[in-house]
Amino acid sequence: MSDDGRVEVAPVDDFEEGRAEIVNVGRVEVGVMKAGDEFHALRNQCPHDGGPACEGLVEKRLVGEWEGPGERVEQSYSDDDYIVSCPWHGWSFDVETGEHIGNDRYVVPTYEVEVEDGVVYVLTE
Amino acid sequence: MIDPDEHLVVDCDWHYADTFTQVAPYMPEPWKTKFQKSSWGPTGVKQNLSAFFPASTGNRMNYGKIEREFSEYPDGGDDKEDIIEGMEHLGIDATLQISHLVLAMGGVTADDRRVESFIKGYVEYLIEEVVDPDAGIYALAPMPYHDIDASLDVLDRIEDEEAFKGVVMVTAGASPPLGNRKYDPIYERCEDLGLPVVYHTGGSGLDEYVRAGYEEMIETHTLGFLEANMSQIVSVACQGVAEKFPDLDIVFMESGVTYIPGLVSRLDEEYMKRSEEAPLLERPPSEYITDFYFGTQPLEVGARNDLLELCFDMIGTDRLLYASDYPHWDYDSPSIVTDLPMLDDEDRKDILGRNAEEVFGL
Repeated sequence: MSDDGRVEVAPVDDFEEGRAEIVNVGRVEVGVMKAGDEFHALRNQCPHDGGPACEGLVEKRLVGEWEGPGERVEQSYSDDDYIVSCPWHGWSFDVETGEHIGNDRYVVPTYEVEVEDGVVYVLTE
Repeated sequence: MIDPDEHLVVDCDWHYADTFTQVAPYMPEPWKTKFQKSSWGPTGVKQNLSAFFPASTGNRMNYGKIEREFSEYPDGGDDKEDIIEGMEHLGIDATLQISHLVLAMGGVTADDRRVESFIKGYVEYLIEEVVDPDAGIYALAPMPYHDIDASLDVLDRIEDEEAFKGVVMVTAGASPPLGNRKYDPIYERCEDLGLPVVYHTGGSGLDEYVRAGYEEMIETHTLGFLEANMSQIVSVACQGVAEKFPDLDIVFMESGVTYIPGLVSRLDEEYMKRSEEAPLLERPPSEYITDFYFGTQPLEVGARNDLLELCFDMIGTDRLLYASDYPHWDYDSPSIVTDLPMLDDEDRKDILGRNAEEVFGL
Protein backbone atom coordinates (compact mmCIF):
# COMPACT_ATOMS: atom_id res chain seq x y z
CA MET A 1 0.00 0.00 0.00
CA SER A 2 1.30 3.41 -0.88
CA ASP A 3 1.55 6.13 1.68
CA ASP A 4 -0.62 8.57 -0.28
CA GLY A 5 -3.80 6.74 0.59
CA ARG A 6 -4.13 4.82 -2.62
CA VAL A 7 -2.97 1.65 -4.29
CA GLU A 8 -1.87 1.59 -7.91
CA VAL A 9 -3.71 -1.01 -9.94
CA ALA A 10 -2.73 -0.76 -13.61
CA PRO A 11 -2.78 1.54 -16.60
CA VAL A 12 -6.23 2.03 -18.06
CA ASP A 13 -5.21 0.36 -21.29
CA ASP A 14 -4.26 -2.84 -19.49
CA PHE A 15 -7.82 -3.56 -18.33
CA GLU A 16 -9.35 -6.49 -20.15
CA GLU A 17 -13.03 -6.27 -21.01
CA GLY A 18 -15.07 -8.42 -18.66
CA ARG A 19 -12.27 -9.17 -16.22
CA ALA A 20 -11.09 -7.53 -13.04
CA GLU A 21 -7.56 -6.73 -11.95
CA ILE A 22 -6.87 -8.07 -8.48
CA VAL A 23 -4.71 -6.06 -6.05
CA ASN A 24 -3.96 -6.25 -2.38
CA VAL A 25 -5.32 -3.44 -0.25
CA GLY A 26 -4.03 -3.92 3.24
CA ARG A 27 -4.81 -7.46 4.17
CA VAL A 28 -7.61 -7.97 1.67
CA GLU A 29 -7.82 -8.56 -2.04
CA VAL A 30 -9.78 -6.09 -4.11
CA GLY A 31 -11.02 -6.55 -7.64
CA VAL A 32 -10.91 -3.48 -9.86
CA MET A 33 -12.96 -3.63 -13.01
CA LYS A 34 -13.94 -1.53 -15.98
CA ALA A 35 -17.66 -1.35 -16.59
CA GLY A 36 -18.51 0.81 -19.57
CA ASP A 37 -16.52 3.99 -19.12
CA GLU A 38 -16.26 3.69 -15.35
CA PHE A 39 -14.04 1.81 -12.95
CA HIS A 40 -15.28 0.06 -9.82
CA ALA A 41 -13.61 -1.80 -7.01
CA LEU A 42 -15.07 -4.50 -4.76
CA ARG A 43 -13.60 -6.79 -2.18
CA ASN A 44 -12.62 -10.06 -3.81
CA GLN A 45 -14.49 -12.21 -1.34
CA CYS A 46 -17.98 -13.59 -1.82
CA PRO A 47 -20.19 -13.40 1.29
CA HIS A 48 -21.64 -16.76 0.33
CA ASP A 49 -18.73 -19.15 0.55
CA GLY A 50 -15.68 -16.92 0.53
CA GLY A 51 -15.00 -17.40 -3.16
CA PRO A 52 -13.03 -14.93 -5.31
CA ALA A 53 -16.11 -12.90 -6.25
CA CYS A 54 -14.25 -10.51 -8.57
CA GLU A 55 -12.49 -13.17 -10.56
CA GLY A 56 -15.65 -14.09 -12.44
CA LEU A 57 -17.26 -12.39 -15.40
CA VAL A 58 -17.94 -8.67 -15.42
CA GLU A 59 -20.86 -8.06 -17.73
CA LYS A 60 -24.00 -6.09 -18.33
CA ARG A 61 -26.91 -7.23 -16.21
CA LEU A 62 -29.59 -9.30 -17.92
CA VAL A 63 -32.97 -7.75 -17.13
CA GLY A 64 -36.55 -8.52 -18.11
CA GLU A 65 -39.41 -6.32 -19.17
CA TRP A 66 -43.06 -7.33 -19.15
CA GLU A 67 -45.29 -5.59 -21.65
CA GLY A 68 -48.59 -6.85 -20.28
CA PRO A 69 -50.84 -9.87 -19.72
CA GLY A 70 -50.06 -12.75 -22.03
CA GLU A 71 -46.84 -11.21 -23.24
CA ARG A 72 -43.47 -12.88 -22.84
CA VAL A 73 -41.04 -11.29 -20.41
CA GLU A 74 -38.48 -9.96 -22.87
CA GLN A 75 -34.94 -10.23 -21.61
CA SER A 76 -32.15 -7.91 -22.65
CA TYR A 77 -28.83 -6.66 -21.37
CA SER A 78 -29.03 -3.43 -19.44
CA ASP A 79 -27.35 -0.38 -20.92
CA ASP A 80 -26.11 0.90 -17.60
CA ASP A 81 -26.05 -1.82 -14.95
CA TYR A 82 -23.02 -4.07 -14.71
CA ILE A 83 -22.55 -7.10 -12.50
CA VAL A 84 -19.69 -9.31 -11.46
CA SER A 85 -20.41 -12.96 -10.69
CA CYS A 86 -18.47 -15.13 -8.31
CA PRO A 87 -17.08 -18.02 -10.34
CA TRP A 88 -17.68 -20.53 -7.56
CA HIS A 89 -21.51 -20.44 -7.43
CA GLY A 90 -22.65 -17.54 -9.58
CA TRP A 91 -23.70 -15.06 -6.91
CA SER A 92 -23.88 -11.79 -8.82
CA PHE A 93 -23.22 -8.32 -7.48
CA ASP A 94 -23.88 -4.85 -8.80
CA VAL A 95 -20.42 -3.46 -9.45
CA GLU A 96 -21.40 0.02 -8.32
CA THR A 97 -23.10 -0.78 -5.01
CA GLY A 98 -21.69 -4.22 -4.23
CA GLU A 99 -25.24 -5.45 -3.54
CA HIS A 100 -26.32 -8.93 -4.56
CA ILE A 101 -28.69 -8.46 -7.47
CA GLY A 102 -31.35 -10.72 -5.97
CA ASN A 103 -31.08 -9.87 -2.30
CA ASP A 104 -29.57 -6.57 -1.19
CA ARG A 105 -29.04 -7.88 2.32
CA TYR A 106 -25.82 -9.34 0.97
CA VAL A 107 -23.27 -6.67 0.09
CA VAL A 108 -19.64 -6.87 -0.96
CA PRO A 109 -17.66 -3.88 0.33
CA THR A 110 -16.81 -1.32 -2.33
CA TYR A 111 -13.86 1.05 -2.69
CA GLU A 112 -13.38 4.40 -4.33
CA VAL A 113 -11.40 4.38 -7.56
CA GLU A 114 -9.63 7.21 -9.33
CA VAL A 115 -7.78 7.54 -12.61
CA GLU A 116 -4.80 9.80 -12.85
CA ASP A 117 -2.52 10.19 -15.83
CA GLY A 118 -3.90 7.06 -17.41
CA VAL A 119 -3.34 4.93 -14.33
CA VAL A 120 -6.08 3.42 -12.12
CA TYR A 121 -5.82 3.61 -8.33
CA VAL A 122 -7.91 2.25 -5.45
CA LEU A 123 -8.35 4.72 -2.63
CA THR A 124 -7.64 3.31 0.79
CA GLU A 125 -8.82 6.15 2.98
CA MET B 1 -58.19 -23.01 24.58
CA ILE B 2 -61.09 -21.74 22.50
CA ASP B 3 -64.13 -23.75 21.55
CA PRO B 4 -64.60 -23.70 17.74
CA ASP B 5 -68.36 -23.73 18.25
CA GLU B 6 -68.17 -20.28 19.76
CA HIS B 7 -66.20 -18.69 16.93
CA LEU B 8 -66.41 -18.16 13.23
CA VAL B 9 -65.25 -21.22 11.32
CA VAL B 10 -64.79 -20.97 7.57
CA ASP B 11 -63.92 -24.13 5.73
CA CYS B 12 -61.95 -23.19 2.64
CA ASP B 13 -61.98 -26.62 1.05
CA TRP B 14 -65.14 -28.71 1.16
CA HIS B 15 -65.53 -31.08 -1.76
CA TYR B 16 -68.91 -31.23 -3.30
CA ALA B 17 -69.38 -34.92 -4.05
CA ASP B 18 -70.95 -34.44 -7.43
CA THR B 19 -71.83 -36.99 -10.07
CA PHE B 20 -71.83 -36.73 -13.81
CA THR B 21 -75.50 -37.61 -13.70
CA GLN B 22 -76.16 -34.48 -11.66
CA VAL B 23 -74.07 -32.22 -13.81
CA ALA B 24 -74.82 -33.59 -17.29
CA PRO B 25 -78.26 -32.00 -17.69
CA TYR B 26 -76.57 -28.63 -17.22
CA MET B 27 -73.72 -29.25 -19.64
CA PRO B 28 -73.69 -27.51 -22.99
CA GLU B 29 -74.33 -29.63 -26.04
CA PRO B 30 -73.14 -31.94 -27.41
CA TRP B 31 -72.00 -33.35 -24.10
CA LYS B 32 -75.41 -33.00 -22.56
CA THR B 33 -76.83 -35.43 -25.09
CA LYS B 34 -73.73 -37.55 -25.55
CA PHE B 35 -73.42 -38.19 -21.86
CA GLN B 36 -77.01 -39.16 -21.32
CA LYS B 37 -76.81 -41.68 -24.14
CA SER B 38 -73.50 -43.10 -23.12
CA SER B 39 -74.67 -45.71 -20.66
CA TRP B 40 -72.16 -44.50 -18.17
CA GLY B 41 -72.97 -45.28 -14.60
CA PRO B 42 -73.88 -42.70 -12.02
CA THR B 43 -70.48 -42.53 -10.38
CA GLY B 44 -67.44 -40.40 -10.98
CA VAL B 45 -63.81 -41.28 -11.28
CA LYS B 46 -64.51 -44.92 -10.44
CA GLN B 47 -66.10 -45.50 -13.84
CA ASN B 48 -63.18 -47.45 -15.17
CA LEU B 49 -63.21 -47.80 -18.95
CA SER B 50 -65.94 -45.23 -19.54
CA ALA B 51 -64.76 -42.56 -17.15
CA PHE B 52 -65.39 -39.02 -18.23
CA PHE B 53 -62.06 -37.99 -16.79
CA PRO B 54 -58.99 -40.21 -16.58
CA ALA B 55 -59.05 -42.20 -13.38
CA SER B 56 -56.43 -42.11 -10.71
CA THR B 57 -55.67 -45.32 -8.93
CA GLY B 58 -55.60 -45.93 -5.25
CA ASN B 59 -58.26 -47.04 -2.82
CA ARG B 60 -59.29 -43.86 -1.09
CA MET B 61 -61.67 -45.70 1.18
CA ASN B 62 -58.75 -47.52 2.74
CA TYR B 63 -60.19 -50.99 2.15
CA GLY B 64 -63.58 -50.05 3.54
CA LYS B 65 -62.37 -48.40 6.71
CA ILE B 66 -63.63 -44.96 5.70
CA GLU B 67 -67.31 -44.07 6.06
CA ARG B 68 -69.04 -40.74 5.63
CA GLU B 69 -72.25 -39.87 7.42
CA PHE B 70 -72.88 -36.58 5.66
CA SER B 71 -71.88 -37.33 2.10
CA GLU B 72 -72.30 -39.91 -0.62
CA TYR B 73 -68.53 -39.80 -1.17
CA PRO B 74 -66.90 -41.53 -2.95
CA ASP B 75 -69.80 -42.41 -5.25
CA GLY B 76 -71.10 -38.86 -5.25
CA GLY B 77 -74.66 -37.61 -5.38
CA ASP B 78 -74.64 -35.14 -2.52
CA ASP B 79 -77.17 -32.38 -2.30
CA LYS B 80 -77.45 -29.14 -0.43
CA GLU B 81 -78.91 -30.84 2.64
CA ASP B 82 -75.85 -33.06 2.93
CA ILE B 83 -73.67 -29.97 3.14
CA ILE B 84 -75.88 -28.29 5.75
CA GLU B 85 -75.93 -31.40 7.93
CA GLY B 86 -72.18 -31.84 7.57
CA MET B 87 -71.52 -28.20 8.43
CA GLU B 88 -73.59 -28.55 11.58
CA HIS B 89 -71.75 -31.71 12.52
CA LEU B 90 -68.32 -30.16 12.05
CA GLY B 91 -69.25 -26.77 13.45
CA ILE B 92 -68.57 -24.88 10.23
CA ASP B 93 -70.28 -21.55 9.58
CA ALA B 94 -69.26 -21.04 5.98
CA THR B 95 -67.85 -23.34 3.35
CA LEU B 96 -66.26 -22.96 -0.06
CA GLN B 97 -67.33 -25.83 -2.27
CA ILE B 98 -64.84 -27.31 -4.72
CA SER B 99 -65.97 -29.97 -7.15
CA HIS B 100 -64.71 -33.42 -6.32
CA LEU B 101 -64.80 -34.64 -9.90
CA VAL B 102 -62.98 -31.70 -11.43
CA LEU B 103 -59.84 -32.57 -9.49
CA ALA B 104 -59.15 -35.15 -12.18
CA MET B 105 -59.29 -32.62 -15.03
CA GLY B 106 -55.52 -32.37 -15.12
CA GLY B 107 -55.42 -35.84 -16.62
CA VAL B 108 -57.09 -34.57 -19.78
CA THR B 109 -54.33 -33.83 -22.23
CA ALA B 110 -56.14 -33.48 -25.53
CA ASP B 111 -59.93 -33.13 -25.47
CA ASP B 112 -60.14 -29.89 -23.54
CA ARG B 113 -63.76 -29.34 -24.62
CA ARG B 114 -64.57 -32.09 -22.14
CA VAL B 115 -63.21 -30.00 -19.28
CA GLU B 116 -64.95 -26.84 -20.44
CA SER B 117 -68.26 -28.65 -20.76
CA PHE B 118 -68.05 -30.19 -17.35
CA ILE B 119 -67.14 -26.96 -15.63
CA LYS B 120 -69.77 -24.88 -17.35
CA GLY B 121 -72.35 -27.49 -16.44
CA TYR B 122 -71.07 -27.74 -12.89
CA VAL B 123 -71.28 -23.98 -12.36
CA GLU B 124 -74.88 -23.88 -13.65
CA TYR B 125 -75.77 -26.85 -11.49
CA LEU B 126 -74.33 -25.24 -8.38
CA ILE B 127 -76.12 -21.96 -9.02
CA GLU B 128 -79.40 -23.73 -9.60
CA GLU B 129 -79.30 -26.37 -6.88
CA VAL B 130 -76.57 -25.95 -4.28
CA VAL B 131 -75.02 -22.60 -3.38
CA ASP B 132 -76.77 -20.49 -0.78
CA PRO B 133 -74.88 -17.60 0.83
CA ASP B 134 -77.55 -17.24 3.49
CA ALA B 135 -76.72 -20.78 4.60
CA GLY B 136 -72.98 -20.18 4.34
CA ILE B 137 -72.63 -22.32 1.22
CA TYR B 138 -70.25 -20.57 -1.13
CA ALA B 139 -68.26 -21.96 -4.04
CA LEU B 140 -65.09 -21.63 -6.05
CA ALA B 141 -65.39 -21.81 -9.82
CA PRO B 142 -62.99 -24.24 -11.47
CA MET B 143 -61.07 -22.77 -14.39
CA PRO B 144 -60.96 -24.84 -17.60
CA TYR B 145 -57.48 -23.45 -18.06
CA HIS B 146 -56.69 -25.59 -21.08
CA ASP B 147 -58.77 -22.98 -22.89
CA ILE B 148 -58.35 -19.38 -21.78
CA ASP B 149 -61.43 -18.15 -23.62
CA ALA B 150 -63.53 -20.80 -21.91
CA SER B 151 -62.07 -19.74 -18.56
CA LEU B 152 -63.05 -16.14 -19.24
CA ASP B 153 -66.56 -17.35 -20.14
CA VAL B 154 -66.82 -18.92 -16.70
CA LEU B 155 -65.60 -15.73 -15.05
CA ASP B 156 -68.20 -13.75 -16.99
CA ARG B 157 -70.86 -16.17 -15.78
CA ILE B 158 -70.00 -15.89 -12.09
CA GLU B 159 -69.12 -12.22 -12.04
CA ASP B 160 -72.42 -11.21 -10.48
CA GLU B 161 -73.06 -14.40 -8.54
CA GLU B 162 -72.64 -13.59 -4.88
CA ALA B 163 -71.97 -17.21 -3.95
CA PHE B 164 -68.77 -17.50 -6.01
CA LYS B 165 -65.85 -16.21 -4.01
CA GLY B 166 -62.87 -17.30 -6.05
CA VAL B 167 -61.60 -19.69 -8.69
CA VAL B 168 -59.81 -23.01 -8.61
CA MET B 169 -56.78 -23.90 -10.68
CA VAL B 170 -56.21 -27.67 -10.48
CA THR B 171 -52.48 -28.03 -10.03
CA ALA B 172 -51.94 -31.70 -10.89
CA GLY B 173 -51.39 -32.08 -14.60
CA ALA B 174 -51.36 -28.37 -15.44
CA SER B 175 -48.99 -27.98 -18.35
CA PRO B 176 -47.41 -25.59 -19.01
CA PRO B 177 -47.12 -24.87 -15.30
CA LEU B 178 -49.39 -22.21 -13.93
CA GLY B 179 -46.89 -19.35 -13.86
CA ASN B 180 -46.80 -19.40 -17.67
CA ARG B 181 -47.93 -16.24 -19.43
CA LYS B 182 -50.67 -18.26 -21.10
CA TYR B 183 -52.72 -17.94 -17.92
CA ASP B 184 -52.23 -14.18 -17.53
CA PRO B 185 -55.71 -13.30 -18.81
CA ILE B 186 -57.26 -15.45 -16.08
CA TYR B 187 -55.17 -13.79 -13.41
CA GLU B 188 -55.81 -10.34 -14.79
CA ARG B 189 -59.57 -10.89 -14.76
CA CYS B 190 -59.54 -12.40 -11.29
CA GLU B 191 -57.54 -9.44 -10.02
CA ASP B 192 -60.08 -7.07 -11.58
CA LEU B 193 -62.97 -8.97 -10.02
CA GLY B 194 -61.28 -9.31 -6.64
CA LEU B 195 -61.47 -13.10 -6.83
CA PRO B 196 -58.68 -15.07 -5.15
CA VAL B 197 -57.04 -17.84 -7.17
CA VAL B 198 -57.06 -21.10 -5.24
CA TYR B 199 -54.56 -23.67 -6.47
CA HIS B 200 -55.76 -27.12 -5.53
CA THR B 201 -54.01 -30.38 -6.12
CA GLY B 202 -55.82 -33.26 -7.70
CA GLY B 203 -55.68 -36.99 -7.92
CA SER B 204 -55.10 -37.39 -11.61
CA GLY B 205 -51.69 -38.48 -12.65
CA LEU B 206 -50.54 -39.38 -9.17
CA ASP B 207 -49.25 -42.69 -10.37
CA GLU B 208 -47.34 -41.31 -13.29
CA TYR B 209 -46.54 -37.78 -12.26
CA VAL B 210 -42.86 -38.50 -12.26
CA ARG B 211 -42.61 -42.20 -12.91
CA ALA B 212 -45.05 -45.04 -13.26
CA GLY B 213 -44.94 -48.01 -11.01
CA TYR B 214 -45.89 -46.92 -7.53
CA GLU B 215 -47.94 -49.65 -5.97
CA GLU B 216 -49.93 -48.17 -3.11
CA MET B 217 -51.85 -45.03 -2.41
CA ILE B 218 -49.70 -44.23 0.61
CA GLU B 219 -46.91 -43.56 -1.86
CA THR B 220 -48.78 -41.65 -4.54
CA HIS B 221 -50.95 -39.65 -2.18
CA THR B 222 -47.98 -38.55 -0.12
CA LEU B 223 -45.88 -37.54 -3.10
CA GLY B 224 -48.41 -36.50 -5.70
CA PHE B 225 -50.00 -33.73 -3.71
CA LEU B 226 -46.66 -32.32 -2.68
CA GLU B 227 -45.21 -32.51 -6.17
CA ALA B 228 -48.23 -30.89 -7.76
CA ASN B 229 -48.26 -27.98 -5.32
CA MET B 230 -44.53 -27.49 -5.24
CA SER B 231 -44.17 -27.48 -9.01
CA GLN B 232 -46.87 -24.83 -9.37
CA ILE B 233 -45.66 -22.69 -6.47
CA VAL B 234 -42.21 -22.53 -8.02
CA SER B 235 -43.63 -21.61 -11.41
CA VAL B 236 -46.06 -19.00 -10.08
CA ALA B 237 -43.37 -17.45 -7.89
CA CYS B 238 -40.48 -17.44 -10.37
CA GLN B 239 -42.53 -16.20 -13.30
CA GLY B 240 -43.58 -13.21 -11.22
CA VAL B 241 -47.36 -13.65 -11.09
CA ALA B 242 -47.37 -11.64 -7.85
CA GLU B 243 -45.43 -8.83 -9.53
CA LYS B 244 -47.63 -8.84 -12.59
CA PHE B 245 -50.84 -8.86 -10.59
CA PRO B 246 -50.03 -7.34 -7.21
CA ASP B 247 -53.62 -7.21 -5.99
CA LEU B 248 -54.32 -10.86 -6.76
CA ASP B 249 -54.72 -13.11 -3.72
CA ILE B 250 -53.01 -16.46 -4.22
CA VAL B 251 -54.03 -19.51 -2.18
CA PHE B 252 -52.54 -23.01 -2.18
CA MET B 253 -54.55 -25.90 -0.78
CA GLU B 254 -54.13 -29.38 0.52
CA SER B 255 -50.55 -30.26 1.14
CA GLY B 256 -50.25 -29.39 4.81
CA VAL B 257 -47.65 -26.87 5.93
CA THR B 258 -44.35 -28.65 6.51
CA TYR B 259 -43.29 -28.58 2.87
CA ILE B 260 -43.24 -24.79 2.67
CA PRO B 261 -40.07 -24.03 4.67
CA GLY B 262 -38.12 -26.66 2.77
CA LEU B 263 -39.33 -25.51 -0.62
CA VAL B 264 -38.75 -21.80 -0.06
CA SER B 265 -35.34 -22.42 1.48
CA ARG B 266 -34.23 -24.43 -1.52
CA LEU B 267 -35.73 -21.98 -3.99
CA ASP B 268 -34.03 -19.03 -2.31
CA GLU B 269 -30.69 -20.81 -2.56
CA GLU B 270 -31.25 -21.30 -6.27
CA TYR B 271 -32.33 -17.70 -6.66
CA MET B 272 -29.12 -16.40 -5.09
CA LYS B 273 -27.19 -18.28 -7.74
CA ARG B 274 -29.49 -17.62 -10.71
CA SER B 275 -31.24 -14.32 -9.95
CA GLU B 276 -31.33 -13.17 -13.57
CA GLU B 277 -33.58 -16.10 -14.46
CA ALA B 278 -36.41 -14.56 -12.44
CA PRO B 279 -36.14 -11.02 -13.75
CA LEU B 280 -39.53 -9.83 -12.52
CA LEU B 281 -38.75 -10.54 -8.88
CA GLU B 282 -37.79 -7.62 -6.70
CA ARG B 283 -36.94 -9.81 -3.72
CA PRO B 284 -36.24 -13.47 -2.94
CA PRO B 285 -39.02 -15.89 -3.92
CA SER B 286 -39.67 -16.87 -0.32
CA GLU B 287 -40.92 -13.39 0.39
CA TYR B 288 -43.57 -13.75 -2.30
CA ILE B 289 -44.52 -17.28 -1.34
CA THR B 290 -45.03 -16.40 2.30
CA ASP B 291 -47.44 -13.73 1.10
CA PHE B 292 -49.54 -16.50 -0.44
CA TYR B 293 -52.26 -18.12 1.65
CA PHE B 294 -52.18 -21.79 2.51
CA GLY B 295 -54.93 -24.21 3.44
CA THR B 296 -53.98 -26.14 6.56
CA GLN B 297 -55.20 -29.59 5.59
CA PRO B 298 -53.90 -32.26 5.95
CA LEU B 299 -52.14 -30.72 8.91
CA GLU B 300 -49.17 -32.77 10.08
CA VAL B 301 -50.26 -32.88 13.72
CA GLY B 302 -47.93 -35.78 14.45
CA ALA B 303 -44.88 -33.72 13.58
CA ARG B 304 -42.68 -32.24 16.26
CA ASN B 305 -44.27 -29.18 17.82
CA ASP B 306 -41.17 -27.11 17.21
CA LEU B 307 -41.32 -27.96 13.50
CA LEU B 308 -44.96 -26.91 13.25
CA GLU B 309 -44.19 -23.76 15.19
CA LEU B 310 -41.40 -22.96 12.75
CA CYS B 311 -43.74 -23.54 9.81
CA PHE B 312 -46.41 -21.26 11.26
CA ASP B 313 -43.78 -18.66 11.96
CA MET B 314 -42.36 -18.76 8.41
CA ILE B 315 -45.75 -18.77 6.69
CA GLY B 316 -47.45 -16.47 9.18
CA THR B 317 -50.65 -17.27 11.06
CA ASP B 318 -52.28 -14.46 9.08
CA ARG B 319 -51.72 -16.54 5.96
CA LEU B 320 -53.19 -19.85 7.08
CA LEU B 321 -56.74 -20.92 6.27
CA TYR B 322 -58.58 -23.74 7.94
CA ALA B 323 -59.67 -26.32 5.38
CA SER B 324 -61.52 -29.55 6.09
CA ASP B 325 -61.33 -31.33 2.73
CA TYR B 326 -64.53 -33.03 3.82
CA PRO B 327 -65.75 -35.57 2.80
CA HIS B 328 -62.43 -36.82 1.49
CA TRP B 329 -60.82 -39.67 3.36
CA ASP B 330 -58.16 -37.53 5.08
CA TYR B 331 -60.30 -34.58 6.21
CA ASP B 332 -59.50 -32.35 9.19
CA SER B 333 -61.97 -31.12 11.80
CA PRO B 334 -61.75 -27.55 13.14
CA SER B 335 -60.33 -28.95 16.38
CA ILE B 336 -57.15 -29.73 14.45
CA VAL B 337 -56.44 -26.01 14.73
CA THR B 338 -57.75 -25.33 18.22
CA ASP B 339 -55.81 -28.25 19.70
CA LEU B 340 -52.42 -26.94 18.59
CA PRO B 341 -50.48 -25.96 21.71
CA MET B 342 -48.13 -23.48 20.07
CA LEU B 343 -50.88 -21.09 18.89
CA ASP B 344 -52.57 -18.44 20.97
CA ASP B 345 -56.31 -17.97 20.82
CA GLU B 346 -56.15 -15.01 18.45
CA ASP B 347 -54.09 -17.08 16.00
CA ARG B 348 -56.61 -19.89 16.28
CA LYS B 349 -59.51 -17.56 15.49
CA ASP B 350 -57.61 -16.10 12.54
CA ILE B 351 -56.85 -19.51 11.06
CA LEU B 352 -60.31 -20.92 11.72
CA GLY B 353 -62.24 -18.14 10.07
CA ARG B 354 -61.13 -14.55 10.21
CA ASN B 355 -58.38 -14.86 7.60
CA ALA B 356 -60.75 -16.54 5.15
CA GLU B 357 -63.46 -13.99 5.87
CA GLU B 358 -61.06 -11.28 4.74
CA VAL B 359 -59.46 -13.07 1.79
CA PHE B 360 -62.70 -14.28 0.27
CA GLY B 361 -64.81 -11.30 1.29
CA LEU B 362 -67.44 -13.42 3.00
